[in-house]
Amino acid sequence: MLCRVADDIFWMSRYVERGIAVGRLIDVVWHFELDAGDQEAGSDFWAPLLGTSRLAAETHGQPSASQVRHFLTFDQQNPSSLVNCIRKARAAAQGVRESISSEMWEQLNTVYLRLTTTGPSPSPVAEDDPQAFYQPIRNGMQFVQGLADSTLLRDEPWLFFCLGRSLERADTLSRILTLQAPLLQAAGSAGQDDVVRWLAVLRSCGAAEAYSHYYSLLIEPARVIEFLLLNPLFPQSIRFCLETAMNALEAIAGPVMLAGPTSGKGDLAVRALGLLEARLRHTAVDEVLEEGLESFLGDVQHRVQVVSEHVTAGYLRDEPQPGRLVAVARAAMIMATQQQQQRRWA
Amino acid sequence: MTSVPTDRRSTASDEMPTYDPDGFWDEMFAGPGEVRLHYAELARELATLGPADVARRQLAADHSFQARGITFAVNQGVEGIEKIMPFDLVPRMITPTEWQQIERGLEQRVRALNLFLHDLYHDQKILEDGVVPHELVLGAKGYRREFRGVDVPLGVYTHVVGSDLVRDATGAFYILEDNLRTPSGVSYLVENRRVMKRTWPQIFASYDVRPVEQYPQDLLELLLAIAPPIADEPNVVVLSPGVYNSAYYEHVFLAKAMGVELVRGSDLFVDDATVYMRTTRGRRRVDVIYRRVDDDYLDPLTFRQDSLLGVAGLVATYRLGRVSLANAIGTGVADDKAIYAYVPRIITYYLNEEPIIPNVQTFLASEPSDLKYIVENLDKLVVKSVDESGGYGMLIGPHSTAAEQEEFRQRILENPRSYIAQPTLALSRHPCWVDDHFEGRHVDLRPFVLFGRDVKVTPGGLTRVALRRGSLVVNSSQGGGGKDTWVLGSLPVARGEPATPDAPDPAAIAPALPASDTAHAAPLGDDA
Repeated sequence: MLCRVADDIFWMSRYVERGIAVGRLIDVVWHFELDAGDQEAGSDFWAPLLGTSRLAAETHGQPSASQVRHFLTFDQQNPSSLVNCIRKARAAAQGVRESISSEMWEQLNTVYLRLTTTGPSPSPVAEDDPQAFYQPIRNGMQFVQGLADSTLLRDEPWLFFCLGRSLERADTLSRILTLQAPLLQAAGSAGQDDVVRWLAVLRSCGAAEAYSHYYSLLIEPARVIEFLLLNPLFPQSIRFCLETAMNALEAIAGPVMLAGPTSGKGDLAVRALGLLEARLRHTAVDEVLEEGLESFLGDVQHRVQVVSEHVTAGYLRDEPQPGRLVAVARAAMIMATQQQQQRRWA
Repeated sequence: MTSVPTDRRSTASDEMPTYDPDGFWDEMFAGPGEVRLHYAELARELATLGPADVARRQLAADHSFQARGITFAVNQGVEGIEKIMPFDLVPRMITPTEWQQIERGLEQRVRALNLFLHDLYHDQKILEDGVVPHELVLGAKGYRREFRGVDVPLGVYTHVVGSDLVRDATGAFYILEDNLRTPSGVSYLVENRRVMKRTWPQIFASYDVRPVEQYPQDLLELLLAIAPPIADEPNVVVLSPGVYNSAYYEHVFLAKAMGVELVRGSDLFVDDATVYMRTTRGRRRVDVIYRRVDDDYLDPLTFRQDSLLGVAGLVATYRLGRVSLANAIGTGVADDKAIYAYVPRIITYYLNEEPIIPNVQTFLASEPSDLKYIVENLDKLVVKSVDESGGYGMLIGPHSTAAEQEEFRQRILENPRSYIAQPTLALSRHPCWVDDHFEGRHVDLRPFVLFGRDVKVTPGGLTRVALRRGSLVVNSSQGGGGKDTWVLGSLPVARGEPATPDAPDPAAIAPALPASDTAHAAPLGDDA
């Protein structure tokens, strides 16, 4: 498949996944506000999401919940706002419409049209009834993924879609956990407040129900971390995402792997991802806590970034066109013109 | 041209109680309240619907286009503005007899134009014989002198042709212009049919409509047929300028339907006189390019050096016969609006036949006697720039102001080679759904002709509608819309005819019409 197309599908998939994560986060925090009962607690939870952003600076670190929600949803300058994720996903999809299924394109376009015709600016709909506003958007994006699962041929477009989704999911999860790392790290006795927070963390990773199935609902910090990072069965855990990404990448690299370790640029991506996946596969949660959650997650993020760069260099960028080729083409042109002139005088 | 028989016993559809052709040739009505025979079933169907239902289906159709992203980008506007082409729910029908003339006429024309192109790029006999003036050809913007002596596969230059046909007040068909370079609109032809089936499936049951979905397969077959002999499993691609091109949707549609890659210039490169595309598994050879990029932008080494849309070295590779292009380079000379005037003579010269579909009378500003007539009659004529398309650079005399006429007079006198003029045609009309009722709007017809090993005219076409009342400009960039176009395999068998011709039975015509609406029922010829 064309490099440009692979590139667009990879990023379309990443933006769709990012959009889902942002939408889920907004939803979770809204619930958390209601549970916590006061706005203060809510904005405490929000604050880490903003990091060093412009909004944090403008509001001296004390933005209201609705300001934050607007920032995460509609802000044009926030590259990961919901609107921007969907816009970028849709723009990428538009350039590769012939390589994805019509159903996927129509679905993504419908979500885009819904959001852009409701918004922008502080949408009253989004504030009055967040559930009614965000739920269809998130469902719509998840529907895009479902359609990819059920309509794409299992060849390269699908593999790049999978790779993008899995890497993005691992990356997003590690970022959300990093923001809450101080809370999670302060393990030990769990007060009633903390249980609510941990539940919120699980929910923001879409993991609350799966966690309670797996461990019954006994909230222990170490278990929460183990579940989100290392669980082999939960499809949003970092380990699971990396395994999925690895499967996709090996299928993409294909015969290149058999030809030896130095056969291609794409091989660097396989090796980097393989090492990272092995680390997640063979690490125990105690070792993670010993190393420090933040440092462990920082390492994961860094390595995912490296994998992404190798994938880009190995598969998504074309071979450069040497200047020589232009010269060859020019010579052919001159030759042809001469032949034509000879014919004319003959 | 014989007119189509009309169904005089039927009343006008109750949906159109006041519909009046206003003296134009109307595709559906022979006169006020006189539905043409092949439209009678449709009129009955419409009568059973009621305005609310028509409006609902119209809305559903619009949504369908929007959600599927069947849009075009507007030229000369802000980047990223996407519009849907307005779609009108009432299908336009063409009888088997009418279609036979169109099909034969187009085949004749396309064959003659290809012989003309072959001649121009080889011996130029037609110029020697004085049938077409030398200076008109050699001065045409679309003439590529670099291609003299180059042979193209199968001797075919124009693989895809979209000619525009119109009808005048007598119902006779004319060719208004030929599009021999990169004609667009075929995706609408297929999509209009699909949306029509989705939003109004019932109406298909009463008609024998010839299918159009096979177009992409026919196109692929053609493209494979022109592959260079060196390619055993030819790799076909569609070359598009990218998402901001007004016809981008169509490029996607065709690539997808044919199952081939949609590429941009930057996806391709030339090495060792071979065109390659850049893939995730390295380079892959390209054999046939269905290009939707104009000649000027194809190759910065040969044509415009500032082009970012093309591929350096493509033209040289093409000349060597190591990659095939559809359409060939240099076809623009034959759809030049000034050459157009000579097409009837071109047909007679090469085929020794009379044109089956006539041209619209055309005055060439480059001819002194015509020039005089043009500048003295600007208020009656349609003036077109030979270098522009899409409805830009046009003067429609009867609809223009004195100042506009004066401006065109100056432009024509300064540069006569660049202008032609034609009488203002009373284009045929067709009922269209406007707000909440039907009104007549002017229409044209663009059928598509594929020419590979043989000539295939897809049985259908894009009927373009000038949606503004009274407007004669149908181009989508100028506010035109489209209709599904039905070429009928056979005429419908009339049913539910009343026993006596003079006493129409309203119940038989509008069985499902709600009682409250029957108040609108107009007896035959009430509006005459």
